[in-house]
Amino acid sequence: MNVFFALATGLMFAIGVFQLLRRDMIKAAMGFYILFTAINLFFFAVGAFNGQVSAYAGNLSEGTPSDPVVQALILTAIVISFGSYAILLGLIATSARRYKTADLDTLDQLKG
Amino acid sequence: MTPNNPLVLTPIFFPLFAAALCVFFAHFRRVQRIIGVSAAILAWLGSLSILALNWVDGLQLYRLGGYMPPYGIVLAPDMLSAIFTAMASTVVMGGAIYILGCRDKCVSYPAFMPLYLCMAAGLHGAFYTGDIFTLFVFQELMIMSSVVLVGISDNRLGVEAAIKYLLISAMGSLFLLLGIGAIYASFGTLTLADIARLLEGGERPLLAQTAAVMLMCAFLLKSAVFPFHFWQPDFHTAAPTPVHAVLSSVVVKVGVYGLIRLTMLMFIAEAPLVRTLLLVLGIIGIFFGSLGALRTYDAKRMLAYSTFGQIGFILLGIGWGTPLALIGAIVYAVNHAFIKSSLLMITGALASRMPNKSAKLIDIGGAGHSFKLMGGLYLLGGLALAGVPPMNGFISKLAIIRGGIDAQSWVLLGLAVAAGVITLMYVVRTWQHVFQSSPDEHLHLKPYGDSLIAPVMLVGLCVLFGLFAVPVVEAATIAVTRLNDPQSYIRAVLGG
Repeated sequence: MNVFFALATGLMFAIGVFQLLRRDMIKAAMGFYILFTAINLFFFAVGAFNGQVSAYAGNLSEGTPSDPVVQALILTAIVISFGSYAILLGLIATSARRYKTADLDTLDQLKG
Repeated sequence: MTPNNPLVLTPIFFPLFAAALCVFFAHFRRVQRIIGVSAAILAWLGSLSILALNWVDGLQLYRLGGYMPPYGIVLAPDMLSAIFTAMASTVVMGGAIYILGCRDKCVSYPAFMPLYLCMAAGLHGAFYTGDIFTLFVFQELMIMSSVVLVGISDNRLGVEAAIKYLLISAMGSLFLLLGIGAIYASFGTLTLADIARLLEGGERPLLAQTAAVMLMCAFLLKSAVFPFHFWQPDFHTAAPTPVHAVLSSVVVKVGVYGLIRLTMLMFIAEAPLVRTLLLVLGIIGIFFGSLGALRTYDAKRMLAYSTFGQIGFILLGIGWGTPLALIGAIVYAVNHAFIKSSLLMITGALASRMPNKSAKLIDIGGAGHSFKLMGGLYLLGGLALAGVPPMNGFISKLAIIRGGIDAQSWVLLGLAVAAGVITLMYVVRTWQHVFQSSPDEHLHLKPYGDSLIAPVMLVGLCVLFGLFAVPVVEAATIAVTRLNDPQSYIRAVLGG
């Protein structure tokens, strides 16, 4: 199972980096989100396969509980990546209105 | 040493609470400003009291929710964090006071004050936390608020700068997150002290070394060191003046703080390699930044480039790694924060009187001719930046040079001193061009502009710390003595 997760994480990383380097800002934003999801998958793989039952106090079922810290970390990371993504999209919308472009290459007024 | 000192929370809690409160008073600008400034002052007092407690009593702790450290999140400001936070909260307070007298349009937006306070809370939290994931969270809070603050700036290019920085810094945050994941996968803990304990026990999985590389990349990116610096002048120049002052002087220090923690607490065995790299990057940064500042076209941009060069000096101190050099690095970081923020505020105050608010050298030539106070302050700050004797810049340069002599690294030392001359050159040249040359006839300055109260305070601090440098150096000495003994930090945080 770990091998599949490693492959999936690697693939998503590749797609994410490729998209992030595109000229179109919307595609770059997509790549940004894909990259964050790849990291979440990596976090998931870190702690998902160690236990069999869910981890909360008072769970009396048999077996080793899974790692709750990783799940908390993923939740926080999702919230943060979602917030950054929303801000990025807002900025792209403003840029489209202000500079009439969503192409990163034509956005080059800051120089020097 | 107290196990739970609620004072530790004040520099984080007050700005965050005030930010929430400011949202409720979104359309009462005066109320918002009173809340914001009083929160900044309270946070400043809190951080000073933590510094004082650290001085006499050692590490302060706050266990969030009462859980024991390896399982719960802990705020553990030691002397290093306390010094950096005291510096940060002083500049944040200066910025908040500057906002009161600022005439930029963006300052009157209802979202400005809450965002500014969120940035302050993230900054203080990133210094205080003893948990690496919380460091990431606070850093993101700081970065996201600063991105929005730059995006709403009066400068038309603010949005462009914000998009660029968000994409680049997101990459840095990704690497930080990946590094944290790698550390968790290899050690199963997120508390800095616990990671240090396990690493010291000789446990060295390959994944942890990868994590060290990723963390280093992330910290270098946050403090805009040579291969990752491209965003810095753009992003900082487009920011509103009070935000620019905070960004360029203390937000870049978060990366410096992370690098000190990385080499002195966590990856001690890998530290020599990291230090060699920091020396190379530092000297490149010094020359690149100073030469960039020399040939740029904008007074604000010049100071942003200069930050890039000054961070290089701090990296040299960390890179030499001897106790004296580290004292130099910490003293330099503290003094540079006050110098750079005051210079930026003065430049911003002058630019606010310009018809189009530009700080381009071609526009503001001679604009400051009739402002004697402003010119005097700029000269004092500029001399401090260049390291001329009565000012605090001299003390920090001296401390760095003492560290270099101690480390016997003569070539780098010679290069660094030579680059110091370039600093003097661009500062004095700009001062002459802006404040001494006679103004253009077509130049019509506005009769009013941003108030000078905050820069006067900060320049006062520069002079004060130049004449009475002993407390700063002594605090840095204590911090380095305690940093050299990671065992006691680990014991203090993990309890027992």
